[in-house]
Amino acid sequence: MRRIVLISMLSLVACGKGDGDKGAGGARDAVINAWKAEKLTVSPLIPAPVAFAKDCQSGTVEGVEVLLCNFASPDEAKKAVDQGYTWVGGATGTSEAHGAALVVLVDRKKTDPNGRTINRLMKLAPK
Amino acid sequence: MRRSIAVLRVPWVLTVLTLGLFAFAGSAIADGGRQVRYVGIHPIPKSEGGGICYIEGPHVHIYTADKIQYRDHRGSNYFVGDPVAYGYDGKRYAYKGHHPIHVNAVVGDEDPDDEYCYINGPHYHYFAPPEGPEFKVSGDAYFYVGEPPHAYVEARPAMMKINAMYQPLTYERPVVTVDAPVGWIGARAEFVGPGVVVEGPRGAVVAPRAGVTVEGYIPAPSVHVDVGIGVPGVIVHDRGPAVIVHDRPVIIEERVKVKHDNGLHRGHH
Repeated sequence: MRRIVLISMLSLVACGKGDGDKGAGGARDAVINAWKAEKLTVSPLIPAPVAFAKDCQSGTVEGVEVLLCNFASPDEAKKAVDQGYTWVGGATGTSEAHGAALVVLVDRKKTDPNGRTINRLMKLAPK
Repeated sequence: MRRSIAVLRVPWVLTVLTLGLFAFAGSAIADGGRQVRYVGIHPIPKSEGGGICYIEGPHVHIYTADKIQYRDHRGSNYFVGDPVAYGYDGKRYAYKGHHPIHVNAVVGDEDPDDEYCYINGPHYHYFAPPEGPEFKVSGDAYFYVGEPPHAYVEARPAMMKINAMYQPLTYERPVVTVDAPVGWIGARAEFVGPGVVVEGPRGAVVAPRAGVTVEGYIPAPSVHVDVGIGVPGVIVHDRGPAVIVHDRPVIIEERVKVKHDNGLHRGHH
């Protein structure tokens, strides 16, 4: 009986991983790792409560503010792109789905006046 | 008969000021700082610091875009002008005359959208056209040789205003001096400006390099461009003295044959 319960629990854990989930941090970690691999400065990310997603973290990368949210699937992340712009507010910014992650970048402090950093970060984030 | 031309040598500072004035004739901060959607590389208004925004994908700013240099691409503003005029320093491709822009191919999305560039003469874009029969490459410049659709013809009178915006701008335009390929839109009578017949250019494209000075001589109908390239001069004769290159400072002179328009002297290419 104990064995059956254990197998059931393992099955549930396995099924809980979505298509876009890539490890403990999901698709978000894939994005962060891609940036770190290019030796970009990534600040510690802290949980960020937003209305349109449950699992989001925010911080800065190369001085640009970033919001990274994990979704269960790439489709769900894509559907949240427009809502990502609500986090941008009155500044230059962008919101894109990369796999099951929603990546939102904002230049609130005008550290990236010509958008080169934002462009680079979005290009480095794995699709 | 050749006219005497007044040479307008525009200082760099004045050029920058002029760029600012013409960059966004209709642009301003959006109401209440609301977001305005863009897609692709585009100029930044002088009031926002000027220069180029290099974000290639969809993004937002809080300033608006004019209706002459931008087209709507699925709710986003897409820049169809020459980014080099505003300081773009990335990879560039030379074009001559009007041509379509397949926006979806440039920005990499799946929404088919053909827009049109109405810039007369040589200019740059940051993208090459897709391979196919509608463009021919001659002297490293792209010439549109396709059949312009009704949408191009219909919007032409309004969109030709872009040339008034670029005419006073002095920047490193490509110098296209090759024979235009057969079928080029700029040589078709129905698409040539009123009262002006443009004789096909000759020679080759000279892309100005760093340190190169290019000075535009504005008066119509002649087109006269100085290019100082710091190399020994050569003389090129191609079907008569249409292209003359002298030693320092190098002068490339392109003459344009003009049909007289009863004193109106309307425009030139």
